[in-house]
Amino acid sequence: MSVSYQAVGWNRQKKIYDWLIAGFCVFYISVFVGLTLVFNPEATFETLLIRTTSTLALLLLHVILSIGPLTRLNKRFLPLLYNRRHLGVTMFCMAAVHGGFSIFQFHSLGNVNPFASLFISNTHFTSIADFPFQALGFFALLIFLLLAATSHDFWLRNLTPKVWKTLHMFVYVAYLLIVLHVMVGVIQYETNPVFILLLAAGSATLITLHLLAGRKEVQKDNQNYQLQMDGFYEVCRVDDILEDRAKVFCIKEERIAVFKTAGTLFAVNNVCKHQNGPIGEGKIVDGCITCPWHGYQYLPHNGCSPAPFKEKVSTYDVKIFEGKVWLNPAPYPEGTERPGAVIELEPVIIKPVTPQNI
Amino acid sequence: MRNDEFYIGWMQGAPATFIQFVRKYLLLIFFLAAVVGVLLATSQKKFSTATFEYGKTTTIKGVYAPSPVPHLSVKNNNEIVFIPLVGYGKQGAEGIIQELEKERGISLANKEVTFNGTLLYGDGKVLLQIDKNEAPLKQLSNAEASLPSATKALGPASLKGEVIDPKCYFGVMKPGEGKVHKDCAIRCIAGGIPPVLAITNEKGEKNYVLLVGANGEKLNDKVKDFVAVPSTITGELMQVDNWLVMQVKEMKNDMATFSSDASSQIASACEASCCKKRMQQ
Repeated sequence: MSVSYQAVGWNRQKKIYDWLIAGFCVFYISVFVGLTLVFNPEATFETLLIRTTSTLALLLLHVILSIGPLTRLNKRFLPLLYNRRHLGVTMFCMAAVHGGFSIFQFHSLGNVNPFASLFISNTHFTSIADFPFQALGFFALLIFLLLAATSHDFWLRNLTPKVWKTLHMFVYVAYLLIVLHVMVGVIQYETNPVFILLLAAGSATLITLHLLAGRKEVQKDNQNYQLQMDGFYEVCRVDDILEDRAKVFCIKEERIAVFKTAGTLFAVNNVCKHQNGPIGEGKIVDGCITCPWHGYQYLPHNGCSPAPFKEKVSTYDVKIFEGKVWLNPAPYPEGTERPGAVIELEPVIIKPVTPQNI
Repeated sequence: MRNDEFYIGWMQGAPATFIQFVRKYLLLIFFLAAVVGVLLATSQKKFSTATFEYGKTTTIKGVYAPSPVPHLSVKNNNEIVFIPLVGYGKQGAEGIIQELEKERGISLANKEVTFNGTLLYGDGKVLLQIDKNEAPLKQLSNAEASLPSATKALGPASLKGEVIDPKCYFGVMKPGEGKVHKDCAIRCIAGGIPPVLAITNEKGEKNYVLLVGANGEKLNDKVKDFVAVPSTITGELMQVDNWLVMQVKEMKNDMATFSSDASSQIASACEASCCKKRMQQ
């Protein structure tokens, strides 16, 4: 995490990601504008601009919201997650062009302020079919503006990860507002069922992905650990944890990742301080636990990020008894050094070479 | 995926299996984007063929009259064409006409004038936008003028349609009707552009009726609740040259009722109130 505000550093992967975003936008705009002009040659520039940016923004929003659950279901989607904020800012830019130009087109050059016009023109707030849909889009755009403006790690640091994450969960409120904006807006005008079917398909896909990812998380959290000894719970066999990897256990609502590295087991809190990423799905890289989401790192023995970074996670006591891993879910304060549990090597029995065992 | 493969975004490259997987996903996403783009582009309602000659001005000579709405009556071969006037943006023409009258110290009513403005036309109707920044009044004859305007009373009528603002409908906006354009139409009508009822018969043919009050007064501040929703308008219908004009007595839709008769407005209000009370009971 940047310890001070600095411009986004583009590495090769980010550059590829951004070129793909640009290519995707150009591709969609070409298809939509080209076909609209072929099938509707009377289309005006203004309407094309409003419709192209709105449909592209909604398409991007579906892609953005699907990335989270997809990565929970399959780690190979992680490259899409890493630079997702650029996708979000692109989506906001499209939505801003749509919203800004719509306010100019439909509300400016009149007898009242365009922003006042947005709320006083159609006042049928109690009607479903005639509800003033543009106000819904306006509030969604405000949320997107807030999210785009705070997307830099500078804000994550200053707002604290918890507040930042909570703020960015408002993307789901914005999505709901957008769905309503479309339902009581364009779908009240267009007669072709394609519009409502596409929106329903998009929403159904997102809901399904979130439910599947949620179920997977709940299954992890609902594991029962019955055997208990002096506050320690038996969680697995030592061999169940692969070298430089971890297994995650949820005991008494504590999500704990137990890593195995260099012949020792270490237990740290599973929630990354950056964006609540699942540390336990990470790997030991250069001696550091590395979060799979954005590569944030922590030292296994004390849960501290290597200098100059300052993130810390809680640590836990872990021990080995008869080849089993025992874990105490009582957390130590973040950054507390713990010795871990040394894995004793099993004695190697060297058999004499005889003709029978060759 | 091999167990030792691990993706870290800040590294220069991603593991091969991750790259292959993401490539396939991106192909799928691009394909879906194409499908969505094709479906959306080809499913939109047809745009109207109405035209707003943006950036091009035309000079028109005719007789100006402020009622039923500010318009020019223009002789075209053997018929008189009724051309409603509108202002720049979401404004009616009245303000500009008043400024011109003040400037010239003479009423323009029933005078032969030559206006320079931007034409809007579609579906057999023509409107002229005049902009005070473009010195719209090119010529003015001080003498009273008259054209043999064909005004004919058609009697009482009740018509169902959608209240629109004719400036957007006849070319400035596409679409210039329906829910998506509702706020704009409300703003245009509030700004002085005369309201029009767009009606469609069973064959899909359209006609347009300029709406004025029961005594010929402006209705701009009364029609807000009837814009862009199916409404039934009742009143005295008349033909003025190539336009239908209705002196409105009553407007109704699912959400609102308007009556030019004050006593019936009170009755409607009482009825609504009593109905509400009954529902509460």
